[in-house]
Amino acid sequence: MLTRIAGGEIVDPVNGRVGKGDLWIEDETVVDEPVGRQPDLTLDATGCVVMAGAIDIHSHIGGGNVNTARLLLPEQHKAHASRPATTPLSKVGWTTFETGRRYAQMGFTTVVEPAMSPGAALHTHLELADIPIIDKATLAILGNDDFLLAMIRDKASPVMIEDYVAWTVASSRALGVKVINAGAAAAFKENARSFSFDDVVPFYGTSSRSIVKTLQAAVGALGIPHPLHVHCNNLGIPGAPDTAAETMAAAEGLPLHLAHLQFYGYGTEGKRGFSSAAARLAELVNSTREITIDVGQVMFGQTVTISSDVLRQFSARGTASPRKSVIIDGDANGGGIVPYNYRDDFHGSLQWAIGLELFLLIEDPWRVFFTTDHPNGAPFTAYPEIFELLMSREARAQAMESLSKRALALSTLPDLTREYTFEEIAIMTRAAPARLLGLKDRGHLGVGALADIAVYRKGGDIARMFRSAAFVLKNGEMVVEDGIVRNYRWGKTLRLKPTPDKAMVKRLEGYYQERYGLSLNWFDFPDSALPREQPFSEVSCNA
Amino acid sequence: MTVAWIGDRGVPVADAAKHAAELLVTSSCPVFSFDTDVHGTRAAIALARAAGAAYDQLDGEAVARETAQHTDKGGMFIAPGEVRRRADVIVIVGALPAAHRDIMAGLAATVPDLDAGTGRQFFLIGTEVKAPAKVKATRLSCDGGLEATLAALRAQWAGRKTALEVTHFARFAKALADARFPVFTFCGQSVGTLGLEMLQGLIADINGKQRASALHLPASENGWGSTLASTWTTGFPLRTSLMRGEAEFDPWRFDAARMIADGEADLHLVVADDAKRLPAGPRNMALIALTGTKKQVAGAAVTIAIGTPGLGHDAVFYASRIGTLAAIEAKAPSELPSTAAVLRQIAEHLPQEEALPC
Repeated sequence: MLTRIAGGEIVDPVNGRVGKGDLWIEDETVVDEPVGRQPDLTLDATGCVVMAGAIDIHSHIGGGNVNTARLLLPEQHKAHASRPATTPLSKVGWTTFETGRRYAQMGFTTVVEPAMSPGAALHTHLELADIPIIDKATLAILGNDDFLLAMIRDKASPVMIEDYVAWTVASSRALGVKVINAGAAAAFKENARSFSFDDVVPFYGTSSRSIVKTLQAAVGALGIPHPLHVHCNNLGIPGAPDTAAETMAAAEGLPLHLAHLQFYGYGTEGKRGFSSAAARLAELVNSTREITIDVGQVMFGQTVTISSDVLRQFSARGTASPRKSVIIDGDANGGGIVPYNYRDDFHGSLQWAIGLELFLLIEDPWRVFFTTDHPNGAPFTAYPEIFELLMSREARAQAMESLSKRALALSTLPDLTREYTFEEIAIMTRAAPARLLGLKDRGHLGVGALADIAVYRKGGDIARMFRSAAFVLKNGEMVVEDGIVRNYRWGKTLRLKPTPDKAMVKRLEGYYQERYGLSLNWFDFPDSALPREQPFSEVSCNA
Repeated sequence: MTVAWIGDRGVPVADAAKHAAELLVTSSCPVFSFDTDVHGTRAAIALARAAGAAYDQLDGEAVARETAQHTDKGGMFIAPGEVRRRADVIVIVGALPAAHRDIMAGLAATVPDLDAGTGRQFFLIGTEVKAPAKVKATRLSCDGGLEATLAALRAQWAGRKTALEVTHFARFAKALADARFPVFTFCGQSVGTLGLEMLQGLIADINGKQRASALHLPASENGWGSTLASTWTTGFPLRTSLMRGEAEFDPWRFDAARMIADGEADLHLVVADDAKRLPAGPRNMALIALTGTKKQVAGAAVTIAIGTPGLGHDAVFYASRIGTLAAIEAKAPSELPSTAAVLRQIAEHLPQEEALPC
């Protein structure tokens, strides 16, 4: 089927195409304007912006911890069902089905769940398979697992560690590797209550730094396109900018991605010992070319924090609102679920401001990624409001009027005048995520690109524009019209498929038999266990 | 071979499915009870959505108690693999179902190998609790039963005076003081909601200074797997209704047994591998039975024989041994239809307002 999207303002930074024109699609892909053929379907995009489908690189949309959060908070979902317009969590997209629907309505077509426990990969993939419309992907968590820590302690060769990482990525069907507070979950099991970058994990004698460096090297050597995705130590603690700075310095010229940097932007200045260090962190990012970050923007209202940083979540139990939480000592990381209500008080105002400062002070939109760390900083459905704050200094000024003046005085935000352009938005939410994840077929509108396309009707209300796309096409199929889902289709889960080394598989079989009394088969599954035909789509590793 | 019946009459599965759908359409308050794997659960929930039904675990009281621990209070939990490798004190709180005997035997036969573990001590709370074979365990008890023992234990451990003394408390306190990682096992089958809450209170107290956690050994592995699938599918665990077009969770209102006993439900769709587990409902209530059977179920309006998940068909189960979902290949592939296939076949005859989420 030949489709023409006519007369829209095309924003495709990858191919240098910014301006009014037509876009042609044949079946699933973008094509050149065909000679002598009439389109089967013409979509009038007059007055609209036409971009590639958006890609979210860090959003907790499925898996054991996400589901535990749902289980812990039935009252929030009930509120969503009965009072959709007035309840804070009404927009959380709580079920797998709603997650796909609400992402698609905003023009997002690919979303990465960034924290999959490899041992519970089947659960994660079952949930992802039940998210309609969009494509999905996951990052496998390593760095608190006994097998890896013991290998580092025992000075295993880099090749052996690469074999283990390759097996983990392959068997769990992941698109990359994430390390979360490296070593801290293992240390917490030994009753550690804090854990920094150069602290040593009891029993294993290896530091957090060493774990991060080991994994960074393995990811690079295996040609995994996405750099090691790092959730640093000391999240949420005043003084954490030092930790983030240490971690950035440890990149040593090799790619490293730091997740939700906003949560590490808390300085210790002021009477309350809580201030913005966003300017310092932004400067570090600007000057450290190998670093990419995502923000983890905070927005006000009720949410729930979901993290495999079990040590941090244990420490945060006292802040739970409502007052209940779940803490899980898993086989490696485990996790913690702590509901939280971000208020527009001193601390909340600063958190909100720090995220925006990072967006506005980091100069290169190719290296700063648009996230709320859903749902940790805010539900992903808050994205349209964040786009408005980035694209309009007037909107920011208006929002700041009702916030703590003392907090804002400790931030540079009131002085920032930058406004994101559509081109910068397209880079940050399309082109750069595709490049970061190694997804060559998306994030742009060049010939041969997958026809994942979002068309937004321009208007004075930026948030409204991004909340309800005029059209969204997924693999060339119309899925959203005027913000309403018209076609529920099932997307794929994107995965890498490195070939596991046979000797490593044998070694792991022995390990699981000896240490757990279990066959390795317990931790693997056939694709047919998922209720979709061909649930996965393979992405190539770098040569 | 006849595998489907309308009343006493053998019919093709397609006819039985169509008749089941007709009964669902005319029902004003259908309720589903099931004991099945994740695929069966997803299909049952999709059918419940199309039919406007409430659903629950078959004999779901214990699963409901375990669910309430999560929905109402939360808690601290640990993966079974970590227990095997780390727990040097194991406290078995309440009797465990026979299905967990292998896990406990595995713990009894091994010692923690992480850190400086050299052995495990076992304690028992509850008069019905048995120690794993060949294990010398210390029973902790006081008047008032299991819940009272947990309460007194928590108070004594915190140094408070108690009216009731727990037997062997000094031994328990010393074991705890010396422990690297004590773990308490629990199951909703033998511990009530207050007991579960008290247990989590004790664990929270211990974690003030040292580590401890709880190992959840569910009353029903199928029940917990269905709880997880229901939660991601609808946002809610079992005992959810889709009667009003949106999911509503109410563990009292949508308790299937209560709905039937109180005469609210007028149709009962039951999924159970074992036909002996089918409950006898009121005569005036239509029964649709999906079960492992060679003959029609007495009194059922529709009976469809199904293959057992994991035995006759590939399945996805909650596996307590690994604390998450696991895929199991059919051990003896069956020609009987799978639960999910039959439920989907019924759903095909019902009007759908939009795509089914499953």
